[in-house]
Amino acid sequence: MASITLPNPGMPVASRAVHATTEQSWVRWSLILVAVTFLGVFLFLPLAIVFSSALQKGFSVYVAALREPDAMAAIKLTLISAGISVPLNMIFGIAAAWAVGKFEFVGKSLLVTLIDLPFSVSPVVSGLIYVLIFGLQGLLGPWLAAHDVKIIFAVPGIVLATMFVTFPFVARELIPLVEAQGTEEEEAALTLGASGWQTFWRVTLPNIKWGLLYGVILCNARAMGEFGAVSVVSGHIRGRTNTMPLHIEILYNEYQFAPAFAVASLLALLALATLLAKTIVEWKARQQSSEVQRISGEAL
Amino acid sequence: MSIEAVNITKRFGQFTALNNVDLEIPSGELVALLGPSGSGKTTLLRIIAGLEFPDSGTVLFDGHDIGDRTARERRVGFVFQHYALFRHMTVFENIAFGLRVRPREFRPSRAQIRAKVHDLLKLIQLENLADRYPSQLSGGQRQRVALARALAVEPSVLLLDEPFGALDAKVRMELRRWLRQLHDEIHITSVFVTHDQEEALEVADRVVVMNEGRIEQVGSPDEVYNRPASPFVYNFLGNVNLFHGRVDDGKTYIHEIETGHVVYVRPHLLDIARLPTGGSHFRARIKHINAAGPLVKVEVIAEWGDPVRVELPQERFRSLQLMKNEEVFIIPKDVQVFPTRKEMARAK
Repeated sequence: MASITLPNPGMPVASRAVHATTEQSWVRWSLILVAVTFLGVFLFLPLAIVFSSALQKGFSVYVAALREPDAMAAIKLTLISAGISVPLNMIFGIAAAWAVGKFEFVGKSLLVTLIDLPFSVSPVVSGLIYVLIFGLQGLLGPWLAAHDVKIIFAVPGIVLATMFVTFPFVARELIPLVEAQGTEEEEAALTLGASGWQTFWRVTLPNIKWGLLYGVILCNARAMGEFGAVSVVSGHIRGRTNTMPLHIEILYNEYQFAPAFAVASLLALLALATLLAKTIVEWKARQQSSEVQRISGEAL
Repeated sequence: MSIEAVNITKRFGQFTALNNVDLEIPSGELVALLGPSGSGKTTLLRIIAGLEFPDSGTVLFDGHDIGDRTARERRVGFVFQHYALFRHMTVFENIAFGLRVRPREFRPSRAQIRAKVHDLLKLIQLENLADRYPSQLSGGQRQRVALARALAVEPSVLLLDEPFGALDAKVRMELRRWLRQLHDEIHITSVFVTHDQEEALEVADRVVVMNEGRIEQVGSPDEVYNRPASPFVYNFLGNVNLFHGRVDDGKTYIHEIETGHVVYVRPHLLDIARLPTGGSHFRARIKHINAAGPLVKVEVIAEWGDPVRVELPQERFRSLQLMKNEEVFIIPKDVQVFPTRKEMARAK
């Protein structure tokens, strides 16, 4: 492109604001100050306190608190419940997004509303639902007791409650994406002789992989951190039905602050790792699309 | 392979997209489905492909009923208006897709697939872009890749849904000539949907004009253009002036008031003269002249006050030296007369 040199108009332009939407500097700085203070007080300060309290009595106490059998059991149970509920919710989320995004059917908007239900219901109520169904005084309680199946105050109940609370994450992330992509590529695959499975694995899934990963990360963070619903169904049996959040609460109530914060720091680390992973995924997805735009700009 | 649509009706809710449509497409022809949006042309194409299923009626390929076969089983090549290329695959992978998804016993070897894709890349003149992604291609290139992808599975028929609709005018012209050439080389029965009458008339062996879920006329471009079967076809295939009129004793009369017949005259079939010649003519005043283009477009106001469009060859225009607001005589060279809808309804 040829460059054009404009004659100097002789007017001082630089002293003025560059964009019409730019505010005066004192407005900008005070807004930034408010935002940073808010973040500092409500986010960074607590995070710093979690780590400093955890390490208050030295690193050896910190490690001992994590290696204590009840803490290990809580960590293990948290990993188990996330390990079961996240993959299941992933499958459910993909299935729901596929159904809602690619097909028209009666009751579609009802399904979308139901998917949002766990977001709008208090986690405690979610937990209570399972107690009312599977508990000893509940709907299926006597039958379960007769067959020696324990759900409430046992691992299955914790997994169920976690699944219920976290199931919208993947579906919510994927539905708009799948809807925006339409069905043309799938139709093209069909006319080229691909079966339904081949179409899904080779066309649909690669198109949604970043959105899926994003949803799974959020789902996992919530699954590991869930307190309310799990608290109701767990029964707080040390070493058996305590997840990490529940274990932290017990330690804290017993004034064992250093061990409580030590376990809490693990959850905080998980949160930081989640944020990092989320940022990387977002960055990757954006990079892919901008790369594509840059090259297509050259091609045109 | 010949295609036959028998008695096809398709409704979407209250809307009737196709109403008892019958169509025969002989083997090896290149046929255009032409009509305004909402005329049912795309629905008919999708029904032939098996992407949509009719409420009643069926489709025959070479005389065999394939109505209950899915898109996957019909072996049609389908080209979408917005290409529908697989965005996460390279050009090579896109074209190879149809071969790769075949069941193992019918799947060609890697080397065969490679050779086949390269042949197709050569055909679409994009040999050096095999490793590009669809988003790195221009619209015209994408559509050619989509065509190569459809041809890779050696389909029995090729179906194209507004294949050039999303391209700019110049690329569109190039690509439709290229499609015509391609068809002359490989002779696959092809059906393409378009709302552009120029495209249909230029590319197709036969044109199927559709309107409101029905077929108005089927014929060669020459037939539908010069011997339109209905006022709709006449109107849709080019610019036209409408006059009230009637036919009496083989003579056409133009009237100022409604008479039960409509006289259609294309702008280029009107001539302008300074003196009333022996044949039919009417008086008019020149309102506007646009001399850009191969034909000079002159807008005149007829003596009864209606605007009339006339198109003159440049030489004719220059020899006449017409001026704005000048009084002239308009001489129709050829007209078409159809009864009005009201008149047709009365006749029934």
